[in-house]
Amino acid sequence: MRHTVLIALLLAGGCARAPKPVSEVVAVSAIRLPASPADAAWDRAPEHIARMVPQDLVEPRLLTPSTPEVRVRALTDGAEICFRLEWEDATRSDTPGPSKMADACAVQIPEKIEKDLPEPQMGQDGKRVQVTYWRADWQATVDGRGDTIRDLYPNASIDHYPYDAKTIEGGDRARQEMALRYAPARALGNLRAGPRSQPVEDLIATGPGTLSPGPSLGAKGKGVYGRQRWSVLISRKLPDGLGVNQRTHVALAVWEGSQHETGARKMRTGWIPLVRRGE
Amino acid sequence: MARVYNWQLGREMAYWYPEARPRRQFAAVFDTNKCIACQTCTLACKTTWTSGKGQEYMLWNNVETKPYGSYPLAYDLRLLEMLNGQQWNGSRYTGQTIFESAPAGERVLGWRPEEQDFAYPNVGEDDCAGEVDGGKYLSLPHLNWFFYLARICNHCTYPACLASCPRGSIYKRPEDGIVLVDQGRCRGYQECVKGCPYKKVFFNPLTGTSEKCIACFPKIEQGIQPQCFVNCIGKIRLAGWISKPEQARADNPMDYLVHIKKVALPLFPQFGLEPNVYYIPPIHAPVSFNQQLFGPGAGEAMKTYRNAMHDPDLASLLCLFGSTELVVPRFRRQGDLAIGSDEKGAEIVRVPLREPVHVRPAFDAKNQLVRINCP
Repeated sequence: MRHTVLIALLLAGGCARAPKPVSEVVAVSAIRLPASPADAAWDRAPEHIARMVPQDLVEPRLLTPSTPEVRVRALTDGAEICFRLEWEDATRSDTPGPSKMADACAVQIPEKIEKDLPEPQMGQDGKRVQVTYWRADWQATVDGRGDTIRDLYPNASIDHYPYDAKTIEGGDRARQEMALRYAPARALGNLRAGPRSQPVEDLIATGPGTLSPGPSLGAKGKGVYGRQRWSVLISRKLPDGLGVNQRTHVALAVWEGSQHETGARKMRTGWIPLVRRGE
Repeated sequence: MARVYNWQLGREMAYWYPEARPRRQFAAVFDTNKCIACQTCTLACKTTWTSGKGQEYMLWNNVETKPYGSYPLAYDLRLLEMLNGQQWNGSRYTGQTIFESAPAGERVLGWRPEEQDFAYPNVGEDDCAGEVDGGKYLSLPHLNWFFYLARICNHCTYPACLASCPRGSIYKRPEDGIVLVDQGRCRGYQECVKGCPYKKVFFNPLTGTSEKCIACFPKIEQGIQPQCFVNCIGKIRLAGWISKPEQARADNPMDYLVHIKKVALPLFPQFGLEPNVYYIPPIHAPVSFNQQLFGPGAGEAMKTYRNAMHDPDLASLLCLFGSTELVVPRFRRQGDLAIGSDEKGAEIVRVPLREPVHVRPAFDAKNQLVRINCP
């Protein structure tokens, strides 16, 4: 009997810390933003369950729906806004390679708070959207896994990299310069190409196919996989002009790597109201 | 989709973008009859461009043994099966290209090679089309056959990689028709890897972008042939500039071989990309097999090549293969000499149609010794 009462009290307490799902994304004020998706601070934020639809407006389209919903919560310290996205995923996809796509998610917010919203699908001409994009393979790299063939395929046989030759004159600097010549994306400063310190990217877009690096919004991220579920924290600068009790909008996207989802092949939401609450 | 004209199909076809031919088009002719699969071309390319981390399995240039070789695995058979054969009415293709048969939601008909498909670059190497036991190899002509197919990016007029990229990260240079992946813009969606029927775009897992043959454009810009051409010890390759059929010039090596003599043919023209690497088909392989690879002109091309020894103009041009590091945009025959020149007529190289033969007696009377003809 004593145990039953204790369990009932615990359940009641748990319900009190987990507000009911809400119809919009509510960014609750916090003194300190969590660095982990498992932080207890998330219990204070109400959860919005966002229904997802396949991207079927532009080719290549996603014709087979995958991730049906994503659960999102938000916190803000007045300078940054931090989202936690959670979705069910039976397969962890975090290794890059031919025909291998990584699990990923993204948060999209209009660059300006305006009455007329940009197109929810990547914005439009004259109405840019800011996209903060997280990937599972980047997370694995940031968490310490190497990204070379030897790291990905421990039994791979590799003859030689010319820039590793001991006879190269000029030492390490010459070797690094030579290695860069064999990594053209890095040589051109493509931020997609790494190396990276965060598993997320700041991007802007003005329509499908226009995604490009944007001004830094200080994006940070942390994704954790467990119990067939991704739990991903994405933080970035608070949208300009988003005062207490004011609204903007947010759209979300999830890519299921095991279904070869990448780029335009994704599950997405439309615009969801995003409101900032004070204390 | 736009309507564009593909002269290799003899008809208009659907393509993702309107027709926009470059000011001049890089092209090449490979003589399969001379290739010995030494892979010097493969190594020349690999050493120059893809020796970095993340590029380990990339072979912008590869040489595969037909009928069984392929890289990545069965790249050609898989798509041929998806296309369900091909139909030609004379020189007009009446079947469907990969653009016309794109499934709903897709830009082209394609497939994704898995990582294992890149694990066997020399599958089928030197395997011939049938068994040679029981003394079959003793008879001539040989009952069984194989040949080597050297492949690079075809720098197609209608690239499927370019059409597949939803970001416009792949472009065809207007000055020379070379197709490139913009390494600053690519985000590694691998749509191009899926879309290219020749599977000549490769994903780099280290940088997360896709990379492909660049036709050694820094050399081309200086009028020099690419690495895989100038290092070819079989002298099977010739680079140049190809015109549209109605603008073909008899003194342009590419035009002469492709449009006038029709001895060099595109690889899998039925896919619809108007590829710009042309092959002189192997004359010892069955016509039906060559037709599958090179289209309906294969039989006539084989006859033309067999007759080259009686065709001094054709023979002279074949002598210019591998004769100079420079691109040879013009050629002419002067008696028993093949002469390559630049576009203004300035001579680049001259090669005799027949090398002089010297017979050296086994016994050297001057030095009173017997020589042997071994190295």
